[in-house]
Amino acid sequence: MNDKQVGTKMDYIKADNISFSYDEPETEEQREVLKGVSLGIRKGEFVALLGHNGSGKSTIAKTFNAMLLPSGGKVYVDNMDTMDESVLYEIRRRVGLVLQNPDNQLVASIVEEDVAFGPENLGVPPDEIRKRVDDALKAVEMYDYRLNAPYKLSGGQKQRIAIAGIIAMQPDCIVLDEPTAMLDPRGRTEVLNTIHKLNQEKGITIVLITHYMDEAVQADRVIVMDSGNVLTEGTPQQVFSQVELLKKHQLDVPQATELIYRLKASGFDLPDCALTIEECVAALEPLLNKASLGETYADH
Amino acid sequence: MVRDITLGQYFPGKSFIHRLDPRVKIIITFVYIVFIFVASNFEALLTMSALILGILLLSGVPLKQYFKSLKAILFVVIFTSILNLFYGGGRVLWSLGFVQITTGGVSNAVFITIRIVSLILFSSVLTFTTSPTELTDALERIMKPLKVFHVKVHEIAMMMTIALRFVPTLLEETDKIMSAQKARGADMESGGLMQRIRALIPVLIPLFVSSFRRAYDLAMAMECRCYHGGEGRTKMKVLHVTGLDAVAAVLTLVVCAAVIFCSVYFPAALR
Repeated sequence: MNDKQVGTKMDYIKADNISFSYDEPETEEQREVLKGVSLGIRKGEFVALLGHNGSGKSTIAKTFNAMLLPSGGKVYVDNMDTMDESVLYEIRRRVGLVLQNPDNQLVASIVEEDVAFGPENLGVPPDEIRKRVDDALKAVEMYDYRLNAPYKLSGGQKQRIAIAGIIAMQPDCIVLDEPTAMLDPRGRTEVLNTIHKLNQEKGITIVLITHYMDEAVQADRVIVMDSGNVLTEGTPQQVFSQVELLKKHQLDVPQATELIYRLKASGFDLPDCALTIEECVAALEPLLNKASLGETYADH
Repeated sequence: MVRDITLGQYFPGKSFIHRLDPRVKIIITFVYIVFIFVASNFEALLTMSALILGILLLSGVPLKQYFKSLKAILFVVIFTSILNLFYGGGRVLWSLGFVQITTGGVSNAVFITIRIVSLILFSSVLTFTTSPTELTDALERIMKPLKVFHVKVHEIAMMMTIALRFVPTLLEETDKIMSAQKARGADMESGGLMQRIRALIPVLIPLFVSSFRRAYDLAMAMECRCYHGGEGRTKMKVLHVTGLDAVAAVLTLVVCAAVIFCSVYFPAALR
């Protein structure tokens, strides 16, 4: 019913000047986690949300599907106010949240029954659930494991099952809160490939919260949060070219970017920014060719 | 140690037993368990054992798994059969002072052993061939009439599902914490009973803390997936009774009739 909005410039999720505070249990003081954040997520976008611990990135993610309600300001999902309790399940169906620990998100002891949990809660007819579960498992390439017990699977596989459980609700957007933080490199690759595929093939909006810079590089847009505010946002190119700003807030940049930045700082003639290893190689190649001819040694 | 526990482990399959409606399976298992106690002589009990043997083979679950579940209660079986060895009348086979073993005692011991083993095998068949979700789902439906008395049937079933789901996870975690504490010099294997119980405290406290954290995460994940209790909830797997269930029910009736017949026409075994 809302498919008509695809391609319009309207924000699918819109956070309007939101603030949020936790009660500190020991000091009885309020700790402000979000300090008037405004941002928008467009439909079909792949957004990476960066920030170090305590920057408020997890908190803001939980306001996107009304798990947390902001203490000030408003969050709109598909033009619905998250404060409005009558549309609570409409919002949670549209915006699925995948958490960090894959072990703690699975409800049932059989993979396919776990994936069915969401649609069952929504009251979808049985035949339709069966179809959705099969489709969701195929989408994350876990169909062959549908009758397995989750505890026998690897971390990456479990996380993909958790994603399948969200897909079965047919969401427009999936918010993933550091989904790869507890996985080994292989599991990380599996999960990242899966979410990129979902974004490209099914057009599902992805909000990936992460502190891995190489994951953020692959996004359409990067939003950097720092102590409850948006520090900067833009394409990965735009964001990671601000190396000094990021460093000042104790944030890393991708290794390739760092290398180019340092070489530039010591006077080499290089392009502004490189995000991936390929770009880095391409940038360094002419320089190295020159070096082998003995030209640059004379200058330095 | 953790890997040996097979209780409540499901083995997926497509056998006759697997395909039965879980509600029917639960009721039949219950009836059989009652009849194991109704069977009062060897003729009746062996009818039941023959039936179990048939069911075990039909279930398609590796027999090794059934032996594993028997191993867990080996101590109980040996203990009760030894105890029974010394009771009962009949011809004296061996005596030492006032302790004596009689033919009646031996027969009692054998009888009790078969009874306990059958009991465990029957319940194992149920848990091996029925997925935990099917099991809780079936229980939820069987218990539905209790809603009249304000029993929270759906909530109970959900708690059971989650408990079953987290058994292997928590066992694994216990193993990890134990290794971690051993690596720091904790001694869990020596000393008397009290000392060993005390040695478990550094395992139980982290386990508790992490369980609460898991519970918090799980509650959040469930809410994210629109969980709001049993109201308006549908099920992927709708239970319906088929011809197979009718066959199983008829078989059950036949066996029960045979057991009653044997119990009435042959003398009781326990003396």
